[in-house]
Amino acid sequence: MTPSGTSDEQVAASILAGLGGVENIDEIDPCTTRLRSLVKDPSLVDAALLRRAGVFGVMINGRVVQVVVGPRVDTIASDLAELM
Amino acid sequence: MVTARAHSGEHKYLAVRAYLADLVATRLSVGDAVPSERSLTERFGVSRMTVRQAVDALVTEGVLERAQGRGTFVAPPRADFEMRLTTFGEEARRRGLVPGADVLEAGTAPAPAPVAEALDRPAGTPMHRVLRLRTADGNPMSLEEAWIPVDLAPDLLDRGVPESLYAALRARGLDPTWGEETITAADATPDELAALEMRTSQAVMRTTRRTFGGDAPLMLSRACYRGDRYSVFVPLREARPTLVPRTDRSGASAGRPGRIPEGSPR
Repeated sequence: MTPSGTSDEQVAASILAGLGGVENIDEIDPCTTRLRSLVKDPSLVDAALLRRAGVFGVMINGRVVQVVVGPRVDTIASDLAELM
Repeated sequence: MVTARAHSGEHKYLAVRAYLADLVATRLSVGDAVPSERSLTERFGVSRMTVRQAVDALVTEGVLERAQGRGTFVAPPRADFEMRLTTFGEEARRRGLVPGADVLEAGTAPAPAPVAEALDRPAGTPMHRVLRLRTADGNPMSLEEAWIPVDLAPDLLDRGVPESLYAALRARGLDPTWGEETITAADATPDELAALEMRTSQAVMRTTRRTFGGDAPLMLSRACYRGDRYSVFVPLREARPTLVPRTDRSGASAGRPGRIPEGSPR
């Protein structure tokens, strides 16, 4: 669960770290409630860290990592863009 | 390869089917009888079997329905339920249909692991579970199973199953605000076929929905919709821009875009 106190910037930074850092990202596609990411090396993805980042679900399938963030996806995506 | 003969038979069957579909779309109303098999065999110069094949296809699609011993009639249109955060009752009412619910099972049970995980609770957490057959104008439309953590609404089922679970949650200050739903095509199980009174088709849509109120998961629902009675209506909007890392991270690339509108239609 997302603690209400966690800012979008903090969530974005944690998600990026959980995905293995910006160097590990091919692209991130913001959907209506999810961030669908394509990573270079799935072994660098830290699922536990992603879950702790305060999200509603993490699905990993090969190089595709989906993170459910809910309606805050827009603001989190903007913050991610800043960090990338 | 399709042989010439098979192709010709296929063509005739398609012609009859197209003719009937056009009649339904332009000249007939719900409940009207379609032309008899005999008149169709004469009109198209085809066998009774070909006519039956065309009618069968439209019955399977839910365009026509057979009434035992009375003939074949135009079926009610499919309900084009929009995928949004509403309940069956709300969607049905907005389409001029009278929603109904037969409660098949209701009670409190320890959550199985997948249910518990979806609702962010430890496995075995007590949950209200309700299994209902949803009807529209008295016709079976879907089977719906809903799970709600007891800790959110301990008295939820004390006076029977509420007519609307969303309304019952709202009444407790737990307003559903967003959710996610997946839809999968499937064949119905024999039990589902019987409960949904499906006779000509076995196709169903299975949905799994997680409903949230802000940060809190409120409800997990799984439903089995009749494939011959439902269409799914999904509003579309422009995709958000895809995020890609800046190619040069030294900071000297002020002019380079960090995002490209790859997902956007042009």
